[in-house]
Amino acid sequence: MRSARSLGWAALPIVVTAAVLAALPPIWFGDSPYTTSLAVQALVFAAYGVGFNLIFGSTNQLFLCVGALAGVGGYGAVILIDETSLPMSVGIVVGTLSAAIVGGLLSWIAVRRSLGIIFTGIVTLVFSLAFANLLLGQRELTGAETGLVVSAAADKLGDDQVGGYYMFACLLVVFLVIFRVLQLSHIGWAFRALRDDEVAAELAGVDVARYRIYAATIGSAMIGLAGALFAYSSGYVSPSTYSFDRVDVRVLVLVAFGGLGTLLGPVVGAGVFAILDERLTTSLELREVLYGVFVLAIFLFFRRGVVHAVVSLWKRISKPRGEKPTLQPSRE
Amino acid sequence: MRAVILDGIVLGLAFGLLGVGMTLVYGLGGVLNLAYGQIVVLAAIVASNVMADGTATLVAACAGVLVAAGAAVLLDLTLMRPVYRQHGEERTLLGLLLTLGAAFVIAGLLTWRYPAGALYVNITGDPVSIIGVPMARGAIWASAIALAVAAVLLLFFGLTTFGRGVRSVIQDETGARLVGINPSFVRTVIFALSGVLAGIVAITHSMSGPLTVNAGFELTTFALIVTVVGGLGSVAGAFLAGVLLGVVNTLSAHYIGQYITTIILLGAAALTILVRPRGLLGR
Repeated sequence: MRSARSLGWAALPIVVTAAVLAALPPIWFGDSPYTTSLAVQALVFAAYGVGFNLIFGSTNQLFLCVGALAGVGGYGAVILIDETSLPMSVGIVVGTLSAAIVGGLLSWIAVRRSLGIIFTGIVTLVFSLAFANLLLGQRELTGAETGLVVSAAADKLGDDQVGGYYMFACLLVVFLVIFRVLQLSHIGWAFRALRDDEVAAELAGVDVARYRIYAATIGSAMIGLAGALFAYSSGYVSPSTYSFDRVDVRVLVLVAFGGLGTLLGPVVGAGVFAILDERLTTSLELREVLYGVFVLAIFLFFRRGVVHAVVSLWKRISKPRGEKPTLQPSRE
Repeated sequence: MRAVILDGIVLGLAFGLLGVGMTLVYGLGGVLNLAYGQIVVLAAIVASNVMADGTATLVAACAGVLVAAGAAVLLDLTLMRPVYRQHGEERTLLGLLLTLGAAFVIAGLLTWRYPAGALYVNITGDPVSIIGVPMARGAIWASAIALAVAAVLLLFFGLTTFGRGVRSVIQDETGARLVGINPSFVRTVIFALSGVLAGIVAITHSMSGPLTVNAGFELTTFALIVTVVGGLGSVAGAFLAGVLLGVVNTLSAHYIGQYITTIILLGAAALTILVRPRGLLGR
């Protein structure tokens, strides 16, 4: 049984994150709609990042379809409401479930055919591109390039930016709690085992296939939920809201920057990139160059990410040398 | 019907030429070069700039090909070094991510500097009739070049000592090293070759329509599909897959519709991975 003290330590990063997120609007950007919208976007990307991190960081399944999964959630919810005039919450639930099912199916296929990281990446990339084409092709349902205006959102979330901010902040904190609980439970042990050595994990009795599908389903549900909520809060969806180059590339970069498989990696990454976006008011093309340089720098020199670097520094300072390492799940 | 299939073969040869440069690099070191489409675009922009100065088309084309080869070698000598120190999936993943980063840098710089850049090699002349179907001269030229490249590559890998050396590295890196082949040198040469192929793609592609500065991502995607369907590392497979996909593409674009066609092509790639991960002619 885990002691109350170590549970407290495990919850500490989440509590700190929640406090920082709650304090940000009044002390920093409460009166600037532009900064608030950037912050909302950062939160959405952090939420995508947590889902992606659960799938890729925890169980080594390279899902290059974060945007498409978010799109399944977003478009699923919006189209359902538009066609049937059910309440908004039903749309969000259905969108989230569809994303979870799609992600689970993709993972099931990858596991059944025992595709490696690369083939999983290619299959999910192919799914992303096919989904984008589907959005463009089904003109009467999706509005193609023009997109859809979310009629139900006008009176609810669209106007209140700071409200939207707090909604996504809550969402992110909930995702972090789920991520941490999974990390600390037997599922987290299985994740670590199969990430370190798949064959050894299988031999030790870990049902690798099943845990992979769990991770993909839960992560996809997170991504779908974030995508659906984002559709409502912005009041408008278009293919570029969920396109591969807008979403997946960014999520991959920010999670890698923060630290793959770490609790706070996506949050740190999303925060840093939001600040970069605010400071860099240069042309879009130069920003793309900078992204590229960032990716190169991260993977050449910094492969384990910011959170890993900080945690190992902290351990070096706080632990006297020679002490035996204790057998514990990583706190990173 | 005949015209549609012939169009499909022309498109397919272009696909094959596009895929072969990517598949060679993958077969050799397990790196999927996601910057491949951007290298094609780089060659196109260089060639169009040289042409704008009034230089002959052939010279401009050579300049484009040379710059593409240079860029590929540069990529190999810098970014690929840490990649080849890794093994197995780690290597493929790192290669994927680093070339993705390189793709952003190249794409960003090119679209920033030449926002309206495009290469169009205009081949004049009346359409030529082939088995009763009138074909544009540009398309015929492009197909002839693709076929010539395929022939040269197959002869090179089948008959020359160096070509066999390359195949030995594809089969077994350690074994090749034991019989005195330097894998790292072979890889650099193949990267240069893939750059040359990218340059040729830029030229042939622009014979039937302008190749614009933002075509890179799409080119990479199609190269990836051809590579996957044809079998990673197989020259003949790339061309076979290219022609098959080309015919499927024009047939379905003609009888069904364009958006569905892309989805069908993507589905073909996904299906290949699931049913026959080695690809059509892969080992």
